[in-house]
Amino acid sequence: MLLSNLLVVVILMLFAGLVYYVRTNRLWRESAQSLWKRRPIAVTVVGLYFVVGILDSVAWVGGVDLSKTQDVVAASKPRTIIDRMFSPETRSERSYSAPFASKEFYGGADLTHPGSYWLGTDRLGRDVLYLAFKGVKVALLVGGLTSLIVIPLALFFGVSAGYFGGRLDDAVFFVMSTLAAIPGILLLIALITALGKGTLQVCVALGVTGWVSFARLARAETLKLRESDYVQAARALGVSDVTIIMRHILPNLSHLMVITFALLFTALVLSETILAYLGIGVDGSWGQMIDQARDELSRDPIIWWNLFGASMALFILVLSVNLVGDAVRDILDPRTLRERE
Amino acid sequence: MTKSISRSSLWVVIGVALAFLTACDNNPYTPDDSSKKILYTWFREAPKTLDPAVAYTTSSHQFTGVIYPSMLEYHYLKRPYQLTPSLAKSVPAPEVLPNGYVRYRFDMREGAMFEKDLCFEELAGVEHREIVASDVVFQLKRVADPAINSPVVSVFSKIAGFDEFIKALTEARAADPDFSSRRIDQQYKEAGDIEGLKTPTPHTLEVTLKEPYPQILYWFTMQFTSPVPWEAVVYYDGQDGRDHLRDHPVGGGPYRMASYNKQFRVVLERNPDWWGASPAHRGAPGTVYPSEGEPGDKERGRLDPKYVGQPVPFIDRVEFRREKEAIPSFGKFLQGYFDLSGIIQESFDQVIKNDQLSEEMVEQGVRLEKSVSPDVFYIGFNMDDPMVGHAAGERGRKLRQAMSLVVDVEEFKRVFTNGRGVPAQSPVPPGVFGYEEDYQNPFRVVDKEKAKKKLEEAGYPGGVDPETGQPLRLTFDTADTTSRGLLQSQFYVRAWRTIGIDVEIKATNYNQFQEKVRNGAYQIFNWGWVADYPDAENFLFLLESGQARSVSDGPNTANFQYARYDALFKQMKTRANDETRLEIIREMKDILAEERPWIELFSRENYALYHGWMQNVKPFGMSVPFYKYWDIDPDLRTENRAAWNRPVLWPVYVLVALFFAILVPGIRTFYRERQ
Repeated sequence: MLLSNLLVVVILMLFAGLVYYVRTNRLWRESAQSLWKRRPIAVTVVGLYFVVGILDSVAWVGGVDLSKTQDVVAASKPRTIIDRMFSPETRSERSYSAPFASKEFYGGADLTHPGSYWLGTDRLGRDVLYLAFKGVKVALLVGGLTSLIVIPLALFFGVSAGYFGGRLDDAVFFVMSTLAAIPGILLLIALITALGKGTLQVCVALGVTGWVSFARLARAETLKLRESDYVQAARALGVSDVTIIMRHILPNLSHLMVITFALLFTALVLSETILAYLGIGVDGSWGQMIDQARDELSRDPIIWWNLFGASMALFILVLSVNLVGDAVRDILDPRTLRERE
Repeated sequence: MTKSISRSSLWVVIGVALAFLTACDNNPYTPDDSSKKILYTWFREAPKTLDPAVAYTTSSHQFTGVIYPSMLEYHYLKRPYQLTPSLAKSVPAPEVLPNGYVRYRFDMREGAMFEKDLCFEELAGVEHREIVASDVVFQLKRVADPAINSPVVSVFSKIAGFDEFIKALTEARAADPDFSSRRIDQQYKEAGDIEGLKTPTPHTLEVTLKEPYPQILYWFTMQFTSPVPWEAVVYYDGQDGRDHLRDHPVGGGPYRMASYNKQFRVVLERNPDWWGASPAHRGAPGTVYPSEGEPGDKERGRLDPKYVGQPVPFIDRVEFRREKEAIPSFGKFLQGYFDLSGIIQESFDQVIKNDQLSEEMVEQGVRLEKSVSPDVFYIGFNMDDPMVGHAAGERGRKLRQAMSLVVDVEEFKRVFTNGRGVPAQSPVPPGVFGYEEDYQNPFRVVDKEKAKKKLEEAGYPGGVDPETGQPLRLTFDTADTTSRGLLQSQFYVRAWRTIGIDVEIKATNYNQFQEKVRNGAYQIFNWGWVADYPDAENFLFLLESGQARSVSDGPNTANFQYARYDALFKQMKTRANDETRLEIIREMKDILAEERPWIELFSRENYALYHGWMQNVKPFGMSVPFYKYWDIDPDLRTENRAAWNRPVLWPVYVLVALFFAILVPGIRTFYRERQ
C-alpha cells in the first residue's frame, strides 16, 4: 500500500466526517446550504479540482505495454489514475505542437498522435493538458499543507498571546513584528536556500512567513472574547484556562479559520508561482510551467498554449476559491448576518 | 499686447514642430560621420577591468586585444589555428637546456613605440617611448604580484624562478611596511629578478621553463604577456583624480582608446604610432592583409586582390554603443545602425529558414557566418562512485556505454539550440589539431538495441537492478536551476528512461553543487570547457589523473584515472603537431570511447550576421578581436540606411491636424466671448 493511497483514504474519511458533522449541526448545515445556493458554480469547480487532486494521488503499479512505451521505468513505477487517463509514456511528441495540430510546430513533420492534444505539447513534446492536470495536486498540496501548518501555529500563538497577555503577549508580538518587518519574498528565498528544494521545504518556508497575519487576527479576537461576560463567568466559577480556550474561545474563532483558510489558500498558490519564477518552486507546479513558457511568448510565431494552460488552471482555481471564500465570509460573519435579517 | 504675444508664440511652436518634422530621422550617430570608415557595434556590460594582467573575459578582450600589442598573434584566415610573429620577429623554437629546462628566445622588433600618453609626459617628459623586452618582464612580474590577483598565475609558474619571485615579493612586503608604498617598478626591482626571464639585449627576451610546455607560445598571443609601460601603472593609480589603469589602457597596438564611457559608449581609434604602421616594419605578418587562407576563403570573398598585401587597419574608428537589451540592439542591426550582430533566440525562426538565411535577409545583403567555437560540452560520470565508476569495473563500463548510446545530440540541438552545434565525438573540438571530421565514436551513435544489450551485459537486464528488483536508480547533479536548464536535464533523463534507468535530477544552486563536488557526492553531472588556446592538450588534460578533482582539486571532475591514458598524455603534451602526435591522440580518443568517463555532447556553433558593406569578416571562435583586417563600404551603408529607414510621416500629419481640429472650437469660442 502506497503512502499517497493511504493519505487519500485518510483525507476521504476526514471529508466524510466533515460532511457528517455539517449535516448534523444546524448552524453549519444552514451555512452550507446557503453557500451552495449563492455560489453553485464556484463550489462545483473547487470540488472538481479536489477530485482531480484525489485521482492524481491514487496510484498502483502495472498496466504499461512495454512494447509501445518510450519509458521503461514507468512500467515498474506506481501510476495514478490521471497518469493512466493520459498515459504520457506512450503519448508524446518530439517537441512543440499547437492545440489539436496534426503536424509539428517547427519542421512540420507528422505527429505520432495527431489532433489528440487539446492544449498542444511543450518543448519536450509532453501533453500540456496533462501537465496542467498534474499541477492540480501540487497546488492543492502547497495550499492545503501550508494552511495546515499556518493555522494551528497562528492559533496557538495568537490565542495564547491574547488570552494570557503580559510578558507572553509582548514576546509573541515582538516575534510577529520582526517577521512582518522582513520583506516576505526575501525571507522565503533565504529559508528555501537554507532548507533546500522540495515540496515539504517550500510548504514549511511559506508557513513560517505566512502565519503572522492570522495570528494577529486571532490575538485581537481573543482579547475581545476574554472580556466577554460568559468568559468572565466561567473564570469566576473556577474553570481552567485550557477548558475556557477550548470551549469558549476557539469555537468563536472558527468562522475566522474558515475565511482565513480560503484566502490563505489562494495567496499560497500564487506565492508558489512567484517562487517557481525564481527557480526555487516545487517541481511540476503551474509556476514552473509559466516560468518555462516565458521565452516562448517572445517567439515569432508565438507559442501561447503552455502559458495559457498553466495560467488558466491557476486563474480558475484562484477565482473559484476566492468566490467561495467571499461567500463563506458573508455567511459566517455575524454582522452581515444581522444586516440580512 | 497680450493677444499679439500669445498669437506669435503659437506660430513659433508650429514653426518648430514643422522644422522637426522635416528633419526627422532616426540616425543615432552624427550625420558627418556617415562617409567615414567607422565600425558601429555594441556592448552589453562594460568589462570590470581592462588591466591586461587580470582581464580574462570576452567583453574585455574586445578592447584590450587591439590596444595592447602582443609578441605573437594568430593567423587571421588559416585553420587549424596557426601562430604568426607580431611584436616578436619570429615564432621562437624551443631549445632544451642541459638541465632539462626549455628556453624560448623572442627577438623583438626595434623602433616599436607605445602610444602617446600623458603618463610618459608626466613621468619622463617625453611624448612616448620605445617598447623594450623589460616591459614584458615588468608585465609578467605584475602577473606574479599577489596584490594584482591575476587569474593565470599557475600557467606562468612553469617559468623558472617565478614562484620564488612571488615569495620574495610577499616576504619583502611583510618585512617592511614601507616597502608597499614605494613605486611599483622599484618594488619589483628590489624583490629580485625572475631567473627564467632574461633580457640580454633591450630587444631580446629569453623565457626559460622548468619543464617542456610548448603551449606557452599561445599565452604569448594574449595580453598577459603584452609589454606594459611602468609609467602607466605608476601614473594611473586612481589617486588625485587620475584614472585607474583598469579604465585607462596604455598600449601600442593597432588601435588606441579614444573614449571610454562605461555607461554609454566606447570608442577605439587608429593608433598612428602602431609599429605596424611605420615604414620600417611594413609588410611584416600582421601589418598587411594575408595572402593565404583556408579552402573556401576565396569563394567567400576573403582573399580579394583589392586587399591582399594591403596595409591594415582599414577601419579608422570602432564605436561601441551600450545596449542593455538584446531585442533593441537586434532592431538597430536590422535598421543598419549596427554593422554586425548575433541572432537572438526570439527571432531565430524568422532570420534562419532551413539553416539558411531567410530571403528577406539575403535581399538586404546580410551575410551569415557560422563558426564553431573550440569548446566541448559533456555529461560526466564521477569515476569514484561505486555504481558508475572505476570500482564497478566491467559492469560500470558497460553501464556507461549503454547510457552513452541513447543520448541523441541531434535531437537535443533541434529542441534546444535551433539546430546549432557540432556533435562531439571526443573531447577535441573542431579547429584544434587532433580533431578529425570523419572520426566516429562507436558509443556516440544512437542505438537503443545495442544499449539494451550492454545494459544486460552489465547485469541490469531491462534496467532492473537485480538486488532491489527495481529500475536502476542514479542521480544527475546540475547547478542549473533555471527552467530551461531543468528541461535540458529532463531531456537526458527521458533518454535514459527509454532503456529503463531511473535517473533523478538534483538541481541545486552553484554553491551547493560545488560543495557536492568537493565532497565527491555526485554521480552524473554536466559541464563544459572553453579553450584557453587551441591545442588538444588543453582538452585532454581534463581527464588526466593528476588533474583529478579528488586527488588535486584539478578540473578532472570525472576523476578519471587510467594509467595508459596518462602515459600517452605525457608523450602527447610536449610533442609538436606531427603524425606521431595524431596517432597518440587517436589512441587516447579510443581509450575514452571505450571507457566512457564522458558522454560528449557538442561544441557550440555561433551564427553571426554581417551587413553587405562589411568586408573580409571571418569569425574566429576564440575571443580575439580582428577589427584591423575588416573593411567597410560607408557609401553603401549610408544608402542602405536611408532606404531602410524611410520615415512614415502620415501619422504625424494626422496627429497635427487632429490637434488643430481640437483647437479650432476653443479659438472660436475665445473670439466670440471677446466680442
